[in-house]
Amino acid sequence: MRAVRWLIAIVVIASVCWLFPLFHVMSLKTATAEKVAATFNATQFAEMFWTNQLPTALEKTVTAKTLLPAFQSDAAAAKKKFSRSVGLSEGYFYFLRGEGKILSVSDDEVSLAVTEGSTNAEVSLQTGLIFGNALRDGTGLLSANDYPNSQDFNDISAALNHIVETRTLPKLREQAKVGAKISFVGCAEVGDEATDLKPLKVIPFQTKTE
Amino acid sequence: MNAKELLKKLQPLIALVVMVVAMSLLSDKFLTFANQRNILLQISVNLCLSIGMTLIILTGGIDLSVGAMLGLAGAVAAGLLKNGLALKVFGVVLQFTPFGAIVAGILIGLALGFFNGIAITRFKLPPFVATLGMLSIARGLTMLWTGGFPVTDLGSQFGFIGAGFFLGVPMAVWISAALVAIFYFISKRTTLGRYIYAVGGSEKATAFSGINVNRVKIWVYALGGALAAVAGLIVTARLDAADPKAGLGYELDSIAAVVIGGTSLSGGRGSILGTVLGCLIIGVLNNGLFLLDVSPFWQQVVKGFVILAAVAADKLGSRKE
Repeated sequence: MRAVRWLIAIVVIASVCWLFPLFHVMSLKTATAEKVAATFNATQFAEMFWTNQLPTALEKTVTAKTLLPAFQSDAAAAKKKFSRSVGLSEGYFYFLRGEGKILSVSDDEVSLAVTEGSTNAEVSLQTGLIFGNALRDGTGLLSANDYPNSQDFNDISAALNHIVETRTLPKLREQAKVGAKISFVGCAEVGDEATDLKPLKVIPFQTKTE
Repeated sequence: MNAKELLKKLQPLIALVVMVVAMSLLSDKFLTFANQRNILLQISVNLCLSIGMTLIILTGGIDLSVGAMLGLAGAVAAGLLKNGLALKVFGVVLQFTPFGAIVAGILIGLALGFFNGIAITRFKLPPFVATLGMLSIARGLTMLWTGGFPVTDLGSQFGFIGAGFFLGVPMAVWISAALVAIFYFISKRTTLGRYIYAVGGSEKATAFSGINVNRVKIWVYALGGALAAVAGLIVTARLDAADPKAGLGYELDSIAAVVIGGTSLSGGRGSILGTVLGCLIIGVLNNGLFLLDVSPFWQQVVKGFVILAAVAADKLGSRKE
């Protein structure tokens, strides 16, 4: 009787496993290849973003000449009109472009005046190590909701920062001379409480000196 | 059954009714459908754990490792589903289906519970010590398996058991309700159920009457492990991620629900339905205090006093008998 019970149990379990398979057997090679293909490659993504998406977004920038006086006269209105924020973040991002005259050059920044005749640093292009998410979040082209894994989204920031550190900044450091004219496109992150943007710390995407 | 005994049996139900009435008077949101559904969803995990804990406490034992087993079962299921199981010797990977991952998770819980049972019956370790050891083992294994990182993005099929709905009711609630029905039947209508009460009532007398006490205990701890695994699968599916720290401190909530539900810590007295009431009391208490904007620190204090009151009532009752 006991043997029959066991037999019935085995038959039932085998049938369930046949109807609803517990697993599929794959070769180690195929599984590894599939896993690599499915893994998000932030470096590759950042490269595509840099080459394809970013150039098309440049028209969304606000000029420094517009932003700085607007912020000076009504910070709240300027923030509302020109900035964007992400999630619960207390910081605001600006995607801007401008041109000005280089006033000073140090190890980690290039200071410039963007208003005609000004002798005060109004914009500071950051040339040291880059941290944070200004480049990723400032353009408004990428949304965290498109990435199921927040780690992937964070990796994009690191990859974009790396591109700027290795491509844009060495050229800028080399060409930046006091008195030279420079044009730039970049992103800036400003704290919620800020009432004065000057000098606005900008992480540059592109720079061109004359 | 005289009036006194009836009153004692109905204590948890009376406490629940009083709390529901009080909360509904104090907060207009308490009795809304969404909030009631939320309470049921919140207690479903504790209910799964507490059913197993009830069986264990009925035999006079205790299991401190249910929270850790919950974490390990969830992590194993998530890992097998996401990464599969590589058998490098054969050059193959077993890529688990959601059903396979669920079965594997439950088997892990069953095996750990079985190990607890063996340690308690064969090696004569006190349940407190044996399950405390298992708590540490399971936590360590979870960290080893996950590397300390959450396993995320498990897919909608697996997620359905924790985040899905059927007839407008969360799947987690259906699962816990089904388990209540099954284990109520087992405890009241099967030989194993009668043996569980007998072992808790008097282990010696049960052994003298020819019942294999050790086998009953091993079964009970194994079932407790399997139910902890089901709870782990629900938590993992609901979050769409296996957190290596999942289930931390859950054993205390589970023991509290069982005790508040009227099950005696010395074994032999109590029921699955009492535990359901215990879980509801804790759920209503948590939810009500939250709606009343009571600080979470005070919520813990209040919960502690409720547990103390339940145990004191049980002890006083036993002394009078």
